[in-house]
Amino acid sequence: MSEDELYSPRNPWFSISVGVTAAIAVLSAIVGLIWLPLLQPNLKLAGIWDAICSAAGVPNLPRPAAAVPPAFKTSNVVVTPEMLTRQDQVSIGRGATLAQRCAICHGPQGVSDANSPNLAGQYAAVTYKELNDFKTGARVNVVMSPFAANMADQDMRDVALYYAYLPRVPSSQVNPNLPAPAIVVTGAPMRNIPPCGSCHGEIDIKAGSPWLGGQSAVYIKAQLQAFASGTRRNDISEQMRNIARQMTAEEIDQVARYYEAQP
Amino acid sequence: MTSETDHSPGAHGLGEAVAARIERRWATLSIVIIGVLVGLAAFFGIYHTTMPQGRVETADPTTLHLSGEFVESNLGSVLEVDGSVTVRAIGQQYSFTPQCLVVPAETPITIRATSADVVHGFLIEGTNINTMLVPGYVSDLPISFKAPGEHMMPCQEFCGIGHQGMWGKVKVVDQTTFRNMAASKRRLTCVD
Repeated sequence: MSEDELYSPRNPWFSISVGVTAAIAVLSAIVGLIWLPLLQPNLKLAGIWDAICSAAGVPNLPRPAAAVPPAFKTSNVVVTPEMLTRQDQVSIGRGATLAQRCAICHGPQGVSDANSPNLAGQYAAVTYKELNDFKTGARVNVVMSPFAANMADQDMRDVALYYAYLPRVPSSQVNPNLPAPAIVVTGAPMRNIPPCGSCHGEIDIKAGSPWLGGQSAVYIKAQLQAFASGTRRNDISEQMRNIARQMTAEEIDQVARYYEAQP
Repeated sequence: MTSETDHSPGAHGLGEAVAARIERRWATLSIVIIGVLVGLAAFFGIYHTTMPQGRVETADPTTLHLSGEFVESNLGSVLEVDGSVTVRAIGQQYSFTPQCLVVPAETPITIRATSADVVHGFLIEGTNINTMLVPGYVSDLPISFKAPGEHMMPCQEFCGIGHQGMWGKVKVVDQTTFRNMAASKRRLTCVD
């Protein structure tokens, strides 16, 4: 039997097998691309062509439904893992000059005992996001809001990069012997609380989460309470409010004391 | 065919006839298997025992909080004009927002959810709702609950080191209770 005759319509084996395969393919395509989509009433398909496109996975833009606008200012910062991770000497230099006005509370080296956040070595994305939220009113503070109100976007980036560039200074409260509370290392899965360390360092870092080591216990406690009560709401899509709401007062205390004692 | 089959009374011709018969049977068997598999897929599709999503919808995971249907104030349940209920939620490292979804029993419900960062899982215990929340895509699921009650909603796709702490709740209430709740608020949740 020569090649020619093997792949020829005159060969019944060839014509039948090709014919059956093609018939199965066409039948399956009709079932999968037309019949099954049309059986789903919630798809509201416009016709056969629409059914074929949607079954084949042509992306649709979400239906324009009327969304309820927020009753309060929410953060408008787009946080990505790459955000402000590149060192820029000019930016750091400008930031150093701008940061002089921050020194009275945050310390000349970005560290202070005034129970305001220590900024030295803080991730630039974090400082930038908070400044931006103070400026837009997503986060409110009597001292910070007026400072941020007049800052340009580039000013906030520069200040953030400058503080990220400063070395972290161990606080006066460092105590490496303090055991890590369960909430920091394992969370409380039964109460919907992941470990603090899964976002804030130690275990893993989530973009936009601050480094908490050496922060004032008073400050950490106040922020967790504000998240829990809903007076602070600039965390994007409630990522911190969801957690703080579930924490007990004792856990908040433990976390605050633990992070203050970390380098 | 060649002339061999036409005039071959010997052992060679018999062998060829046997081979052809066996070949035909195997071919028939494999066609039947393929037919059954296609039929099974069609059956499950018709009776909605599996619910592959009919439409692909996209949403930028980094800007969910800026505009569109997944802004914080638009999450939760809404009673639509046709009497059905739409529930919107997002998954993020490491929680669902809202943490507690409230829906009425015996009502057609559409769940629309997406992820703000990595792939999360969306599973409602006691139902056949089980899908992935993939960043960039909207998961759209039809569902209806038979009776009031509470269901766990754990993230069932490993999403990072805090995965075990990520779950939510679905609270099913009777229709009247839900309608009363919906009369006073535009988006309902049962977060306390």
